[in-house]
Amino acid sequence: MKNQIALAQTPNLSLKNPRAKKITFSKLVPYLFIAPHLILFIIFFAIPAITGIYISFTKWNLYSAPEWVGLKNYFEILVNQDSTFYHQLHNGLLNTIKYTCFSVPFFIAIPLLLAVALNTKTYGSKVFQSIFYMPTLLSISSVILTWIFMFHRNLGSINNILGINVNWFGQQPFTWIAIVIISLWWGIGGNMVIYLAALNGIDKALYESADIDGASAIHKFFHVTIPGIKHQLLYTLVLTTVAQFNIYGQPLMFSKGAPGESTRVLMMYIRELAFGSGESIAGLASAMAVILGLCIMAVSAIQFRLMRNKD
Amino acid sequence: MKKYHKYLPQAAAFLFLLTLGIIFVVPLLWTVLTSLKPEVEIQTLGYRFFPVQWTLENYVDVISNTTSAPIVRWFLNSVLISTTHTILALIVVSMSAYAYAKLEFKGKNTIFWILMTTMMFPTVINLIPLYNVMRVLRWVDNPLALIVPGLGGVFNIFLVRQFMLGIPKELSEAAKIDGANEWQIFTRIIVPLSRPVLTVVALFAFTGTWNDFLWPSIVMNSIDKMPLTPGLRLLQGVYDIERAHLMASAVVSILPTFVIYLLVQKHFLTGLSMSSGVKG
Repeated sequence: MKNQIALAQTPNLSLKNPRAKKITFSKLVPYLFIAPHLILFIIFFAIPAITGIYISFTKWNLYSAPEWVGLKNYFEILVNQDSTFYHQLHNGLLNTIKYTCFSVPFFIAIPLLLAVALNTKTYGSKVFQSIFYMPTLLSISSVILTWIFMFHRNLGSINNILGINVNWFGQQPFTWIAIVIISLWWGIGGNMVIYLAALNGIDKALYESADIDGASAIHKFFHVTIPGIKHQLLYTLVLTTVAQFNIYGQPLMFSKGAPGESTRVLMMYIRELAFGSGESIAGLASAMAVILGLCIMAVSAIQFRLMRNKD
Repeated sequence: MKKYHKYLPQAAAFLFLLTLGIIFVVPLLWTVLTSLKPEVEIQTLGYRFFPVQWTLENYVDVISNTTSAPIVRWFLNSVLISTTHTILALIVVSMSAYAYAKLEFKGKNTIFWILMTTMMFPTVINLIPLYNVMRVLRWVDNPLALIVPGLGGVFNIFLVRQFMLGIPKELSEAAKIDGANEWQIFTRIIVPLSRPVLTVVALFAFTGTWNDFLWPSIVMNSIDKMPLTPGLRLLQGVYDIERAHLMASAVVSILPTFVIYLLVQKHFLTGLSMSSGVKG
């Protein structure tokens, strides 16, 4: 409302000609529609994004004025092997990448198999679909509370039902396996629904002509099904990879970075350095965030290239 | 032989789904069962799937805790924060999407293109400076810090715009001839017709805010102002090895989501395919 009044008073409106005024005001109307979002976008997205990059070149403790230090933060985390931050970045990034490489193939393959199975419209497929999708709506903290006791060495269901005695919290690769299992349980429903919708869109005639040619089920899967949902595969691959790169809650609540530092991911270091109990080194933490951000962008760009080139 | 061959894929699919389905349900089932056991039973009897003695005392304890882990308070905070955010998001998103889809103005394509490009930007970089914005606004430890920043998001605008582009021009043109202005066209024609996509946006906005973990744990520090999702992490410290209490809290936190899901399941599923379809 305030805006409208201010805009109506702009000098280029000629009061002599009411028609001219009307035209000018109606030209401004669209801007009033986009203004609320644009203002919020600038304050809570654009400004933080730009300052985020800026402060990665500064020494800053969140409170005093940031002090420009050039590439010092980047030197510290990327080159200076004597620095603890160098080791934190390398360990954190390596663990993040390890988790991503290990989990993403399952995040694509399992939902795809589920979607194909559900698409046969077998007995109870609607119920199964609901079961597999439900966990995606839970928060990570509910998910961890549900799962953490399952992996207890003596009292947990997993060791007792399977008759094994695995130390899930204290021995690699078991801690990562546990975290991947939990993450899959939490997240595969989303991709499954996307693939299911995509499978519905494949022309049935393609399967029929493959049948006439005597194609096997496996042949049909690779030559009709996969090409038919190519776009959705690319879309989910990129989005899933980006999502897994941001892993934080699972290792934080499940293993607290243990055993050793082997499940400590980069987000955990960034958070501790910027908002931990000691003096904040937000500038250096920002440099780590920029590195993580660049990795995420690079990986999605490469995935896009690879998948597009296959066409 | 022919008939056998016809049903084989379905039977194999069923077995596969059943196996994974059981694996999916066991953790939830066991969580519920464990929450109904007396705490001593877990410590002394060793592993059991079902309770020997059934009890609700863990629920009574968890719900009546109003100091170190006020789970009911957290739940109400989450309801308030997520609902307010959802209502505001619907207003902001639909207005903006309407302008990009249906109105003509200078710079429209440029602004929209800039917004779309920023969707690729990794949000991890924004986290630390966003905290600083909250400090400047004096929103640290204030629910506004969880309600407002997310309204600047871009994805939902894209989703709604795509939907609105599909609404025939003739409808709004007819209304214009009848003397309706842009605001009336927006509120009386476009918004009612966009209900399916706005339902999806509402669900995404609500669950997104409800499930947010990292940001609230940075910007909120009073126990009684926490939403449920980061609050549950504090609970891990409070109940430590009192497993039945932890499981009861997990059930309390999952139950509302579960009920809502059963009620509006269809919308969630169409929403997801809608959001992937526009990209495909």
